Amino acid sequence: MNKKSVEWLYQELPDLIKKGVLTQETANNLKTHYGEIKPADKKWFMFFLYGLAGTILIGLGIILLFAHNWDQLSRSTRAVLSFMPLLIGQALVFWVLFKKPTSGIFKECSATFLSLMVGASIALVCQTYNIPGNAASFTLTWMFLIVPLVYLMQATIPAAIYCIGITAWAMQIVWNDPLRSMLFWPLIAVIVPHFIWSLRQEKYIVRATMLSFVMMICVLLGAQWTLEKSNNWPSSWIIIGPCLFTLFYLVGSYKFKNSSTNWQRPLLRIGALGIFIHAFFLTFRFSWDSISSRYPYYYKPMMSGLKTLPGSIISILIVTTAILLFYDFAKRRQLMKAMFGGLSVLAVIAYFLTAMGAPKALAMFLFNAYLFILSLTRIILGAKSNRLDIVNTGMFMLATLILARFFDSDINFILKGTVFILIGIGFLLTNVMMLRKQGVKNEK
Amino acid sequence: MKNKIIISVFSCLVLLQIATPLSMIMKRESTLKEGTLFRFKTAPVDPFDAFRGRYVALQIEESRVSLNKVSPELEHGQNAYAHIVVDKDGFAKISQVTALKPKGAPYLSVRIGYKGTKDMTIDFPIDRYYMEENAAPRAEKLYRRHSRQDAKDAYVTVKIKDGFGVIEGLYVAGQKIEDLIKAQGKR
Repeated sequence: MNKKSVEWLYQELPDLIKKGVLTQETANNLKTHYGEIKPADKKWFMFFLYGLAGTILIGLGIILLFAHNWDQLSRSTRAVLSFMPLLIGQALVFWVLFKKPTSGIFKECSATFLSLMVGASIALVCQTYNIPGNAASFTLTWMFLIVPLVYLMQATIPAAIYCIGITAWAMQIVWNDPLRSMLFWPLIAVIVPHFIWSLRQEKYIVRATMLSFVMMICVLLGAQWTLEKSNNWPSSWIIIGPCLFTLFYLVGSYKFKNSSTNWQRPLLRIGALGIFIHAFFLTFRFSWDSISSRYPYYYKPMMSGLKTLPGSIISILIVTTAILLFYDFAKRRQLMKAMFGGLSVLAVIAYFLTAMGAPKALAMFLFNAYLFILSLTRIILGAKSNRLDIVNTGMFMLATLILARFFDSDINFILKGTVFILIGIGFLLTNVMMLRKQGVKNEK
Repeated sequence: MKNKIIISVFSCLVLLQIATPLSMIMKRESTLKEGTLFRFKTAPVDPFDAFRGRYVALQIEESRVSLNKVSPELEHGQNAYAHIVVDKDGFAKISQVTALKPKGAPYLSVRIGYKGTKDMTIDFPIDRYYMEENAAPRAEKLYRRHSRQDAKDAYVTVKIKDGFGVIEGLYVAGQKIEDLIKAQGKR
């Protein structure tokens, strides 16, 4: 049960005892069962947020002050000055390690501050000595120097800064050096143990949520920029996209702790949304046209031969992990999860069928059928378990699919009309049957 | 025990974090002190860097080299050595670009850019000159105004030691750009 419901229950208890609904003993049993609500949680959250916002603003402010470039200062003064932010940041972290080694907020804020100060320090040196090169090399040095803080201080914001930095680096160098940009994957993998730790420790607390968002965006951008250009598969996004969203969705489906509100489970929600959007786009012909030679642009990978090996290995790793996760959920007979995750398998099959010359209409049909069955299952399961939110999302998915097909010019009117009427009749029949069922229940 | 490990690992990190900017500074200071001075003709333009501040980007004239000066085995992205000579006007010129380090002659480590049919670009390690926020756009304007009046006479002075170059100053019309801006401000 989530915390809000427990809070409500505890508020009700005295009244329930008074009215004789519960005995004092049962009330006590309930309290032992659900445990104490920590009143400090909310306070902690506010402390954390304000502390962090303050730290980040001060850190960025210092960087901006340095960026002004004070030309009254001599070269040697500036060289000495460039160590100041660094030393202050380090002193702060030292102090926290000695005096507040157990305080999550202090650790997080000091590590974030030091992370920003490392950037300020290198930036000032670059400025003083007119160090050449674009932001890529600067960012990479900066990120290497802060990543140990993530593990030393168990700090999530430096982890997020690192993810963003690595992604920005990969996006900058991919045009000149696509092979080196593949280092994005091992570099982002460095954060994974911390990410899993943060999910396990305080899964539904703001920092795990924040890192989930950042990780998802960075991995998606990284995949879009590095893999598509280097694995030598035309339109590999048809496979990579669905597999990545399957990964997000299924990893988010694992229960690291008791469930909580929706916004605190971004992996699950965004994963599901991504799966739906991908499946929806794959019902259109234009998605599949890119595999054939109609768009020669897609056929021009930036690399060839052995150089494509790292890209291909990482693509295969992503696909295999997604399919293994899908298999795990299918084996445990978690119907809804497995059906969402099934997109990865379907995408792989449809991609290879089409690449081997099967008509595109077959792939389009497969994804239409998939979305149709997925939304129907969702509606049915939602209706069975009396969950209106599930029914509604199912209905929304189905409505989107139907609308898209109604305006599709590829299918002839007679076929379209007949299918529409059949689905309409199906809906009405289900409705009538459900109403009758409910009527019977009410009469009883 | 655990705390001890954390503190010792953190101490190593502290040293590494200090050593990185320190080594960057030391290498450049030694070049500035001991390197040989060259003047490269350039054209400054004004872009912006969110972290490091404003700078004028330098388009070094010598960064485009005719193909007959370049060793034929050099390809895009490869590291190479640009041999430097001084012309009769006192400006640095590139006599050739090779894959092997020259002996006894001044050179600059460069990276091969894009190859054309007649010439090729080299990525010069001298591409930006940081200036004060308000000074950088004025520097560009000054240069433009000046270059219309007479011959383009902007150049950077660069100290070079063992193939490593560090910019010393940017000059427009024979004057250091910062002094020129100050003089313009007083007028």
